[in-house]
Amino acid sequence: MQLAPTAFLRDWAFGPLAFGMLVGLVMFFAAAGLIMGVRAWAGTEPVAFGPVVLGAYWFGLAGWLLGIGVWSKWAKEWLGLPVDRTMKTGWQRYFDFTTDHKVIGVQYLVTFLSMFLLAGVLAMLMRIEHMSGDQVLFSPAQYNYVMSLHGITMVFVAVAAVIGGFGNYAVPILIGAKDMAYPRLNALSFWLAAAVPVLLAATFFAGGFDAGWTAYAPLSTENSDGQVLFNLAFITLGLSSIAGSINFIVTVIKLRAHGMGFDRLPIFVWAVFAMSLLGFFFTQYIAAAMLMTLLDRVFGMAFFDFTEGGDPLLYQHIFWFYSHPAVYIMGVPGLALALEVISHFSRKPLFAYRWVVGGILGITALSAIVWAHHMFTAGLSTAELFFFITTTEVISIPTGLIFLGALGTIWRGRLWLRTPMLFALAVVFNFLIGGLTGIFLADVFTDIHLQDTFFVVAHFHYTIVGAGIFGLFAGIYYWFPKITGRTYSEHLAQLHFWWTFLSFNLTFLPMFWLGLNGMNRRIAVYPEELEFLNLLVSLGGFSLGASFLVFLYNILKSWIRGPVAEADPWRARTLEWQTSSPPPVENFTEAPRVVSGPYDYGSPSTAHAVFGASTNPDGAG
Amino acid sequence: MSTSTYTAHDSHAINSMGLWLFIVSETALFSAFIFARYYLTGTDQPSELNIGLGYAITAVLLSSSLLAYGAERRIAKGDRRGFLWLTLGTIVLGALFLVGVGLEWREAAHAFAPPDLFGVVFFSLTGLHATHMVTGLIALCFVWLVGWRGGFGATDHWGVTGVVRYWHFVDAVWLTVFPTLYLV
Amino acid sequence: MAEICHKTSSILTTSSGTTTVIDLTGSEPQAHERKTLLNGRNVVTVFVIWLGLTVLGVFGAYHADIYPIAGNHLASQVDDAFRLLMMLAVPVFTFVVTILVYSMVRFRRKTDADDTPPHTFHSHGGVIWGWLVVTSGLTIAVLIHPGFTGLRELTADRHQDMVVEALAAQWSWNFTFPEHGVKLDKANDLMLPQGTRIRFDVTSRDVVHSLWLPMYRMKIDAVPGRTNHIYLTTGEPISFSEDPNVRVQCAELCGTGHPRMQVRVSIVDQQEFDIWLGGLEPVIVGNE
Ligand code: HEM
Ligand SMILES: [Cu+2]
Ligand SMILES: [Cu+2]
Repeated sequence: MQLAPTAFLRDWAFGPLAFGMLVGLVMFFAAAGLIMGVRAWAGTEPVAFGPVVLGAYWFGLAGWLLGIGVWSKWAKEWLGLPVDRTMKTGWQRYFDFTTDHKVIGVQYLVTFLSMFLLAGVLAMLMRIEHMSGDQVLFSPAQYNYVMSLHGITMVFVAVAAVIGGFGNYAVPILIGAKDMAYPRLNALSFWLAAAVPVLLAATFFAGGFDAGWTAYAPLSTENSDGQVLFNLAFITLGLSSIAGSINFIVTVIKLRAHGMGFDRLPIFVWAVFAMSLLGFFFTQYIAAAMLMTLLDRVFGMAFFDFTEGGDPLLYQHIFWFYSHPAVYIMGVPGLALALEVISHFSRKPLFAYRWVVGGILGITALSAIVWAHHMFTAGLSTAELFFFITTTEVISIPTGLIFLGALGTIWRGRLWLRTPMLFALAVVFNFLIGGLTGIFLADVFTDIHLQDTFFVVAHFHYTIVGAGIFGLFAGIYYWFPKITGRTYSEHLAQLHFWWTFLSFNLTFLPMFWLGLNGMNRRIAVYPEELEFLNLLVSLGGFSLGASFLVFLYNILKSWIRGPVAEADPWRARTLEWQTSSPPPVENFTEAPRVVSGPYDYGSPSTAHAVFGASTNPDGAG
Repeated sequence: MSTSTYTAHDSHAINSMGLWLFIVSETALFSAFIFARYYLTGTDQPSELNIGLGYAITAVLLSSSLLAYGAERRIAKGDRRGFLWLTLGTIVLGALFLVGVGLEWREAAHAFAPPDLFGVVFFSLTGLHATHMVTGLIALCFVWLVGWRGGFGATDHWGVTGVVRYWHFVDAVWLTVFPTLYLV
Repeated sequence: MAEICHKTSSILTTSSGTTTVIDLTGSEPQAHERKTLLNGRNVVTVFVIWLGLTVLGVFGAYHADIYPIAGNHLASQVDDAFRLLMMLAVPVFTFVVTILVYSMVRFRRKTDADDTPPHTFHSHGGVIWGWLVVTSGLTIAVLIHPGFTGLRELTADRHQDMVVEALAAQWSWNFTFPEHGVKLDKANDLMLPQGTRIRFDVTSRDVVHSLWLPMYRMKIDAVPGRTNHIYLTTGEPISFSEDPNVRVQCAELCGTGHPRMQVRVSIVDQQEFDIWLGGLEPVIVGNE
């Protein structure tokens, strides 16, 4: 009681959040004041958005993190001071610097699903605009802002929802660990990512930004101040991804349970591992691209300023050197999650497991050397075109192995067509269209026409939404009983599935035709001849948007009042189903020992893992 | 503290692997700026570049790495006094390096201030490196402080090992940045 | 035991639910699994459905008239390439979709008790290698044609009858005809002579734009600080009023004026073109 204010901030449910915001704001404004003071002293105009915000942001961010728990639960230890080891329980855990990977997974899921729905509202607005070939709803500047905000928010969702959400929730359980390798770094990653929506929302008060999610320089070095916040948001999410990726890599290498060899790793774990290999390295290049843009904007540098000899193409190279691997980071975890579900719901081993793993690793390796296929019209030399056509087309081969795995698994299985399985099969269908249309874009001859049109828009929605987001929904329905301990309504879930699946295809399939027939992307005004099809697309889009209401209703209602779920409602083999729903802190009451593959269905004589009585002394480390 | 795995594991190995990954990741960041140097300016160099000073600060930084190495060895042998002195020496030499960079910047700001292209790559590369130096110095100060309060021991000094390894890394980065800017 | 199962034995669960573990060693498991996987009746049915759909699909892809107006020979070649890619994509698409839908119908779980498939298999060397060979073959084929051949088509002929310099700016296109010494700033309409091979020298004054002529399937970015080139041969006379794809469109996001950064194009005969040129503003040297 002697430290009443701190105790209050620690024990009150929203104490850590409030304290983090407070410290963050104080440090932000203190730093801003200092910077303005120094500027005034140096004789420059003190109030300037770029330098002040760019400098003060890092202090605000540090304050936010320290305030929410990094200081009291972690950093004090570096000074040899006692740290706060209390852990909240119940719903309050979700508003605290909690280190339990399951809590962090849910934090990611809820945060990024909310962002997904908000960015979806922006998409609806864009589709209203597109119902006519003329400007109807927005001014050109407003349209560009809405389009850019939709794009970058969805990109962040695609990067973080599956890996951050289900990677965190499921990977440690799937490999039989108690938690991630660095639980506190894990919490830090999430609370870093939590700053991202705040930054994006703040762009509204800073004039927005209009350079699209790709933020090509020099447009992005000249537009309104909101761009600075965009760049900071990208860097912040990047830091979070790097920390998260390192955490996953070490977790998978070091914390696997006894007997969990790399040849017995569930395929979803393989995917998160492989994408973390991309994430921990390549994410630095987006940080570099964003940093260079900021240096140009704020410090008068000239990386991309052609009047001083800089080169806008330098930006594109660095940007895509990250962003091509990133499109795989967005798609592959969802794809692997679908494979995971497909095996369990076909009651059959994942077909050609080693080859599927090889396919994922092949994609991972190749994705480092294909980036310039986004620049086929930028003026590359013939030799460069030749090289990037070749590498890009070759990616189809490892990608094909993933399809082989899916088809071989369902073939002659016993398909249990529950909602997770429906979404998983839809992933295969959607990604097929996404992948096949990729070939048209990989071929320079056809891509020259298609580049920067709605054909590309359709392609990447089929891959990212079709695989990434459909995979996310497969995962939500698959793991919902595990996470919440409750059961959702299968009827509503199937309604959601069919509604979403049909609307999705109605929305995005016609876009291929639109692009081919002269509709370029990122526009509010287009030729009148394309109005009818655009209207159709808009209607599909509204229907797609509405379908999520069913999802929300079902999930929220079931989470609160759904029937209690069993430990293993799907009778699946993998480790997360061998513990209670929801699992206890540290996941298992007894140490698991893995004794066979995760997908060895058809052999009831063996379980995937046995518990307890392990030969290794636990806790000796 | 409970371990985060059901198998026996070595927390030192886990921390060490994480740090290595972080170092590899940081390499990527520097490589982007080094790439930009060659992409934008080829191997051009302005004549005003003070190569002598460059060599001098390089020597200072290398010696600081040597001291850091010594500091880690000392604490591993349980020699706290030696460890504290050597850490302090590392900090001083590191700070001296930064002073040298500051001097270099004063000259550079006259000779080839951005948006001059060489200035752009010069200031951003040395600035990025200096930021990492400052981080390293802060971490070294923490290490010194904890050590001074009796924190590390012969068997328990991951904090020292980690920070010293990071320091060597920042040093190694300079050994790439320096020739990239001054020598090629 | 588990490991052994994984590698060298097949496990059969008969449909009645009793489990028979047949421990096979040597080459027999492959032989057995092949039978399980490539079980006659299902394979034949799927093959027939696939073949039917493929024939229909390829026929459809061949005849589908989904292309915008093609203004010259190269544009038709690009459409041919697109068509070829579709025709190659169809069998892949129908293959996957047939197996998906067939399995959903034929292999669905009918009752709760019916939870275990009669046959399980982990892998099948022949199928995997076959798959690899086919997908690699398709990839290499597509890579060579239309990949490399298309690239050659684009880059082979480097001669021109006429040069047009296109300077992009926020938010207009500015054209100069250096051989004629005239220019057209903030163009709304652009005329080009029919049947002429034109080299466009494209650059930008501010941000990145992109010069797109949909009817010629041709596009090149206007990057400030660099000049990019494209070559194209104009075709028969046609104008924007006949088809909206007869236009120059900026295809790279460049700010608020981006969607309206377009120029109506008319392809005309030489005479009309010369008259039009005569009406343009002369370029005053040294006044750039
Ligand atoms: C076989 C597989 C694939 C191939 C051959 C392929 C090929 C391509 C090519 C060549 C482009 C550039 C198109 C252009 O701008 O003209 C492109 C764009 C894109 N692809 Fe793919 N792709 C494949 C799979 C994927 C996957 C798996 C994802 C994501 C999960 C993805 C996401 C994207 C995105 C986001 C863009 C557009 C980026 C932008 O301009 O905003 N692609 N793809
Ligand atoms: Cu790509
Ligand atoms: Cu534009």
